[in-house]
Amino acid sequence: MKRSLSAPRGLILFAVPAVAIVVVPVVAVILRVNWSNFLASISNDVSRTALVLSIRTSLLTTSLALIFGTPLAWFLASREFKFKSLLRALCVLPMVLPPVVGGVALLYAFGRRGVVGSALNDWFGWQLAFTQTAAVLAQFFVAAPFFIIVMEAAFGQIDQRVVGSARTYGAGPWRTFVTVTLGLVRPSLVAALVLTWARALGEFGATIAFAGNTEGRTQTVPLAVFSQLESGDDSALALSMLMMFVSLIVLVALRGKWISALRRGF
Amino acid sequence: MSLEMHCRLKRTKFILDVELSIAPGCVLAVTGENGSGKSSTIDMIAGLLACAEGKIALGDKVFDDSTTNQFVQPEKRGVSTVFQGGGLFSHLSVERNLLFGRGAAFKNTAKFEATVERFNLADLLSRKPSTLSGGQRQRVALARAFLSPSEILLLDEPTNSLDAVSRDEVRSAMKSFFTTYEGIVILVSHDADEVAEIATRVANIKVVSRDITTARLSA
Repeated sequence: MKRSLSAPRGLILFAVPAVAIVVVPVVAVILRVNWSNFLASISNDVSRTALVLSIRTSLLTTSLALIFGTPLAWFLASREFKFKSLLRALCVLPMVLPPVVGGVALLYAFGRRGVVGSALNDWFGWQLAFTQTAAVLAQFFVAAPFFIIVMEAAFGQIDQRVVGSARTYGAGPWRTFVTVTLGLVRPSLVAALVLTWARALGEFGATIAFAGNTEGRTQTVPLAVFSQLESGDDSALALSMLMMFVSLIVLVALRGKWISALRRGF
Repeated sequence: MSLEMHCRLKRTKFILDVELSIAPGCVLAVTGENGSGKSSTIDMIAGLLACAEGKIALGDKVFDDSTTNQFVQPEKRGVSTVFQGGGLFSHLSVERNLLFGRGAAFKNTAKFEATVERFNLADLLSRKPSTLSGGQRQRVALARAFLSPSEILLLDEPTNSLDAVSRDEVRSAMKSFFTTYEGIVILVSHDADEVAEIATRVANIKVVSRDITTARLSA
């Protein structure tokens, strides 16, 4: 075990409440879950529908982050342009914004009477708010910044001479990007995808404001937990347990990679 | 075909003027203090930097001409590079590094086998560059340059930050490579011994003004 000579022993006393505040609720859920009824609770109609919806929307969100976030992160990392700092700040703003505020903003942008939404409605008859698409947009709004910030840091660390080598040995810009640049950032890419997916899976505030809480259509697992809790349904605990289990698996799978990835990002 | 380069690179607070005329078979060593523009010279020839004014041509093939806005992309110049640290792809095995790009045409060929043998890489083919020593990495980088056909070979401080044993190992690999190479070799180096041992010509970049750093290379 590593020992630090300089840390005063009393410091540990202050760390205990921090651990307690995080750990006690987790333990409380584990203790209170009705294990004999666990499988039934997470496989009843409401829970199952919410689970399927959550998995589908979060995977879609993650794919969108990959497709649109990768080029954005690459531009932020490798090009100098005016207002770059402002663009970066705007892109990661949702990380510090209360998600429900994000939901309100999305509603005013893409809602039926929103800035863009009214035009979409008038021209194509599209209504985004309170649909599954809205749930995906809400998750993207909240989760994509994690992807962008991790990937920008990863792209920023690439040795440009290595990319230059690929070009001189005959690979064009696209081939270099796909086979060399993306290959070099692969570990960060995996971390970014898992982190984004986990954040999308847990999204609540923006979703409830912009997509609503309609069972079978926009009610993802966190919203189902909320509804079940309000109605005093035991399933809330079982679903919460499941979410904690998934989150734990994500953290163990990443083995702290996300911490170093985020640290590089800031 | 000789390489003719008469061009100027402009950066914020940095100007580099290069006048070079190099014939095939020549090993030109470029020396000069840090920040004088040695690597920028290499990058302009490789096509990784565009010159602001002037022209770079290999025989009748124009690489870069500011007056006609002509610029040939790096992948079309037929230039091989060996950078400090190798410039290898750390996510690919040694074998896939060798067979990258133009090298792919030599998969399962006698030339590939000969290259592997010449640079003593048989035991390293399946390894990733990160597991190799600095000297081994540079041998791989040299082998990659050897395998891919090129008319110009650019080496940017290939023995920098190597220990004495690795440096000798890489130097002798370079020497044996250059004796059979028919194109133009440009070697950026800090090391006077290396320059004396390997180069057939030497050009020194001189910093002529420090207000806005202005450097000049002519050979």
